[in-house]
Amino acid sequence: MSHIKDIRQKVHLTEHTVFNVNSTNFPGTYTDFDDMWSQERFEERFQIDIIKMSDTDMEFDMVGVDAAIANAVRRVLLAEIPTMAIESVAILNNTSIIQDEVLAHRLGLIPIKADARMFEYKQKDAEEPTSEDTLQFSLKIKCTRNNVSSDATDPNVLYKNHKVYTKDMEWIPLPGQEHLKAKGIRPVHEDILITTMRPGHELVMDLYCVKGIGKDHAKFSPVATASYRLLPEIRLLREFYGEEAELLQKSFSPGVIKLVETSDGQKMAKVANARLDTCSRNVFRHDELKDDVSLLRVRDHFIFSVESTGILPPDVLVSEAIKTLMGKCQKFLHELDSVNFGKGKHKKGGKKT
Amino acid sequence: MNAPSTFESFLLFEGEKKISIEKDTKVPNAALFTVNKEDHTLGNLITTQLLKDPQVLFAGYKIPHPLEHKFVLRIQTTPDYTPGEAFTNAITDLISEVSLMEERFKDAVRDRQEGSPV
Repeated sequence: MSHIKDIRQKVHLTEHTVFNVNSTNFPGTYTDFDDMWSQERFEERFQIDIIKMSDTDMEFDMVGVDAAIANAVRRVLLAEIPTMAIESVAILNNTSIIQDEVLAHRLGLIPIKADARMFEYKQKDAEEPTSEDTLQFSLKIKCTRNNVSSDATDPNVLYKNHKVYTKDMEWIPLPGQEHLKAKGIRPVHEDILITTMRPGHELVMDLYCVKGIGKDHAKFSPVATASYRLLPEIRLLREFYGEEAELLQKSFSPGVIKLVETSDGQKMAKVANARLDTCSRNVFRHDELKDDVSLLRVRDHFIFSVESTGILPPDVLVSEAIKTLMGKCQKFLHELDSVNFGKGKHKKGGKKT
Repeated sequence: MNAPSTFESFLLFEGEKKISIEKDTKVPNAALFTVNKEDHTLGNLITTQLLKDPQVLFAGYKIPHPLEHKFVLRIQTTPDYTPGEAFTNAITDLISEVSLMEERFKDAVRDRQEGSPV
């Protein structure tokens, strides 16, 4: 029975293969378990714990869900939460050595600190930018010689403006965007190097930001990374003492195995914190250890890590992702009502005869 | 250039329906749902949820072509049930799961922000 429970709940890592990868907890797979979906059981098992949270990074545990749900949240975070990014660039003058199209591409990837929830998508046939769908920046900079008499060779001393940074971009409020002034519309980081120049080189350009999603272009993705891993579990099938215990400790990431002193003064290995393990499976390289250690991962315990690009804090991103998923489901329910009961059901009845 | 426009991955064409249903002519109580402008995010989510329903005999999805932004979901059910009902029930269950997730996540964030020394 406990063996079946392991198959249902744990992914088993062995030396060369990973067993029991897929979820099998569906009705009909096992005779002794009731795997039908039930709201009560879900509410009892489901749990969210926030482990770390800062302005840009977050780690949280999501327990009691299927991989499909965790993966949907991850995919929505990556590709379906809108942000603002530079979409078109009017280049009035570019005498630097970087080509226009390469420069425009670099500019597109700069994260812009602006809450996309305050903007609309730009209509695809709309020509003129409006205050609801566009943010305008201007980048005007010229590199000149610095008047120094010394025989310096450092370009930072010799030239003015030879490095163009994101802080040189200036936000130009469109008519009707005065209320945004308090929000501090700007690039997230002021020290992203856009290009370098030499005396005489000049950039004059207008940059237009629009709202978009990561599915369209990766520059719109609000996260640097969003990923999950499963909680590791380590079982020691016998007791390890002395040198063997130390070898065992070294086979795992630091902090995973601790050595405790027994009453007769020997060192014994104990699992301290399996969560820290990278699941390198290094322990299986030692013949004297490999048969007595079992490595598992808990299939429904997801350790999410979300790194924001700095546009929105990560907790806002995750709640937006959940809201997006919710919106999709509700849209489906609405659509199904019209498809199913509007004509689908009658048609079916008609076709049968 | 003949590259398709990027917005094609999430905007419905004019006159295009989000979900269309086609009955399987060879198998009883089976239907194919074509869902436009959606991908693995929802395809896998819905399929897995359908498998949790004991009256669903088969549930699976495919994306027929990588450049066409749609997936096809096939559902077969027991005789006293219809694929349409199964789909609706799966979505309803998903909604309650997601709303619980939303609620618990908000609580967790609030606890965290109140608990941390400011």
